[in-house]
Amino acid sequence: MTDDVEAKPADSAPRHLAHGDVGIVQPRDYVHDRPFTFKNGQVIPGFTLRYETYGALNETRDNAILICHALSGDHHCAGWHSPEDRKPGWWNNLIGPGKAVDTRQFHVICANVLGGCQGSTGPLSTDPATGRPYGVHFPAVTFRDMVNSQRHLLDHLGVVKLHGVIGGSMGGMIALLFAIEHPEIVGRVLAMATTARESTQAIAFNEVGRQAIMQDTAWNNGDYPRDGGPRVGLAIARMMAHITYLSDASLDRKFGRRVVKPGPGDAPAPAADPQAPGFFGAQFEVESYLRHQGQSFINRFDANSYLYITRALDQFDLAHAYGSVEKAFARVQAESLVVGFTSDWLFPPGQNRAIALALLRAGRRASYAELSTDLGHDSFLLESEELYALVRGFLERDRVAFDFSI
Amino acid sequence: MEKIAVKRSFDMRIIGDWVEPESRVLDLGCGRGDLLDYLVQARAVSAVGVDIDFANVTACVSRGVPAYQGDIAAFMRAFPERHFDRVVCSRTVQELQDPAAVILEALRVGKAVTVGFVNHGFWKNRIAGLLGGRKVRNAVYPTSWYESRPANPVTIADFEDFCREKDIRVARRVHLLGDWKTHCPVLPNLLAGYALYDLTR
Repeated sequence: MTDDVEAKPADSAPRHLAHGDVGIVQPRDYVHDRPFTFKNGQVIPGFTLRYETYGALNETRDNAILICHALSGDHHCAGWHSPEDRKPGWWNNLIGPGKAVDTRQFHVICANVLGGCQGSTGPLSTDPATGRPYGVHFPAVTFRDMVNSQRHLLDHLGVVKLHGVIGGSMGGMIALLFAIEHPEIVGRVLAMATTARESTQAIAFNEVGRQAIMQDTAWNNGDYPRDGGPRVGLAIARMMAHITYLSDASLDRKFGRRVVKPGPGDAPAPAADPQAPGFFGAQFEVESYLRHQGQSFINRFDANSYLYITRALDQFDLAHAYGSVEKAFARVQAESLVVGFTSDWLFPPGQNRAIALALLRAGRRASYAELSTDLGHDSFLLESEELYALVRGFLERDRVAFDFSI
Repeated sequence: MEKIAVKRSFDMRIIGDWVEPESRVLDLGCGRGDLLDYLVQARAVSAVGVDIDFANVTACVSRGVPAYQGDIAAFMRAFPERHFDRVVCSRTVQELQDPAAVILEALRVGKAVTVGFVNHGFWKNRIAGLLGGRKVRNAVYPTSWYESRPANPVTIADFEDFCREKDIRVARRVHLLGDWKTHCPVLPNLLAGYALYDLTR
């Protein structure tokens, strides 16, 4: 997903105190100090998951909602870390008091995935055996490992039942897998803009990203210092991936063919001389936008994590893992809602529909809804009253409405 | 509107009587989920509806009725034979692109198919057409031609012909008078306002 969610300009009140906002939040770390075995049999002596929670856990400990983030997302899905933050958590429009995922009713939990680089244990973490970053000595992490590590977190937090698991894109896959692997604790699953099986096209895009990283000599087979590494390769990977999250229409609306205006001291835009500086520079606004996206990504993401997580995406194939998609979903006890977006060409509506149909064939309670948008894959982050109503309706049904009018 | 809701309850009851308790029911063109909600409450069925409209699917999901937004024919193609105990097609037939294909497909994925429709052969509709010289409007289809979805009005006689031609067995049929309550004893194509059919192969 992109990280384009800009905060609305501050009016009178500070943004973090805005109505419906969870306000200032703090990440916490869950330290699992026992050995953890990955799906492939490899063991690490322990791990850390960085996570955030909003809203209170109720007495029966069954009102928790787990949010699963996408490839480049993290645990910070709502609120602000400080009043000076440029923008709030990535799903701030959806999560908060009175919002579609209502933190007055639900205890919302979001953790950075195992293998990630935003505070959870991953390739960038120190390998206790060597005292240096794991690099490519980190075990091959799968979504099942991510799910199982988060189950430990839930146990630690005392959650006995998840009211729901919610995720978009990669987060949708993890949410589905959570309901398959831990059916007894999952009440509802909401998966958006996702798939039951990483498609050939999506693997192909991931491969270009990985090649950009691995062909950068600074990658050095995954062995690089924390402040170094294949920055050029990672930026290119991000630029390419970023395009897959958008759409022809949304790019055109945002940038059109507008050219970058030269700054006060800059030379005028070059005419048709390939030798002039700037001819192959960022002439169009979309170019400078993508360059900026690439640059800001390398300051917050680790190249090895990118390799690991995209590989985990490629390997996600429920039919292959369980014999058939129906067999995978036969384990699910949760009620499911799948949401597709018409302009999503990374995980197109058909792949989302297929999830709901397979759930129904497996005899599960499942719904499918499709929103008409032209924003591409990232539509799941859209500010849409229609989407909010659907999410709220799905989560809040059956909850006793107390009537204080008597 | 209330008048329709009251009228509605009677045909829902008949459909409910034909549904086996705790069976698996598919509703084609489920709207906001009124019928399925009733069948879940009254017969504890395991329900799913199909509808093309996002707001309708949202309404279903919000009341706990599973619903799928999309094309009816494409939905059914995704299921094996006799996956559903009953497929309900209530007030949907006249708006279908290819009614024969949908009903035959419903007979493939369902062990039984309930079809309910407004009889356009009903005398009031005939008179309205004859005297008014306009598109027939009634309680179920109250809109002018220019604000209506494409429709394929069907009569009881048409439907009987169709079943004969396609070798579809009519297990039960109920013809209701213009009040949609009283059973119509004779001349259903003229006197019945509403028809319900229980079909099998």
